[in-house]
Amino acid sequence: MMDNVGGSSSNIAENSGIIREQDRLLPIANVGKIMKQILPPNAKISKESKETMQECVSEFISFVTSEASEKCRKERRKTVNGDDICWALGSLGFDDYAEPLRRYLQRYREQELDRANNPPKRG
Amino acid sequence: MVMADEEENGVSIQLEFPKGRVKKIMALDKDVKRVSSEALFLVSRSTELFLQFLAEKSAQVAIEKKRKTVNLEHIRVAVKRHQPTRDFLLDELPPPSQAAKPDKPTQPAGRPKLDPAPRGTRCIDQFFRKPEPENTAQAPGQPPENPAQAQSPENPDQDQAQSPVPVDES
Repeated sequence: MMDNVGGSSSNIAENSGIIREQDRLLPIANVGKIMKQILPPNAKISKESKETMQECVSEFISFVTSEASEKCRKERRKTVNGDDICWALGSLGFDDYAEPLRRYLQRYREQELDRANNPPKRG
Repeated sequence: MVMADEEENGVSIQLEFPKGRVKKIMALDKDVKRVSSEALFLVSRSTELFLQFLAEKSAQVAIEKKRKTVNLEHIRVAVKRHQPTRDFLLDELPPPSQAAKPDKPTQPAGRPKLDPAPRGTRCIDQFFRKPEPENTAQAPGQPPENPAQAQSPENPDQDQAQSPVPVDES
């Protein structure tokens, strides 16, 4: 999958060539879009805020992932699954996310079932 | 918390963040071997919820300070007010001395953390926390030039920063 998103944040010096900057952060366009949906209509967002939010949400992903993968490791499993993520969120104090995520997961599974019952033509 | 764009009508679920990028960020953790499509979906969605939450709180801070533009200081205050978020994010934010035109030279009521591990068994910044207690009332003298790149401090030998993580996508 090729990522073709510009606007990579440059507020951190790239001392390491191992991790490319654009691969470490979520796209700033998506972050800014979601922020605008939440803020009052007349509110503005500084560019620095968007870049900081990029860092925050990317750090959130790493934080949850680390907690979930630790649980997998202890239980000798190789695949991080949805239950591990839900457990990690609860463990890290984001309990109020569990209910909306359960609803979304339910819809996601229904969607997957529909997709399985009606496989799209690939020919 | 306010659930923006929450639809119960069975409308197709559209994720805001590209799944490939989320997968790459998850794969920065060396311990992650495989991620199911459900897990990837849940992480993407929970990240949206987190962003919405933080944006909302930051906007509230901006309104309290009678500002139209949300800036870095408002995000910092919002992070401080939420314990679970503060645990893993406060040390990641740029220090106040680097903030663009801060509203006040001193931070209001910067309380030191009394409980190092209130929830969960660990925080990422535990491994990088400075020995001296952080006093947010005054700007730290050493702004971190290089934020922590290591996502899994338990693996000091990093041969490959990005290991491919296959996701079971039907």
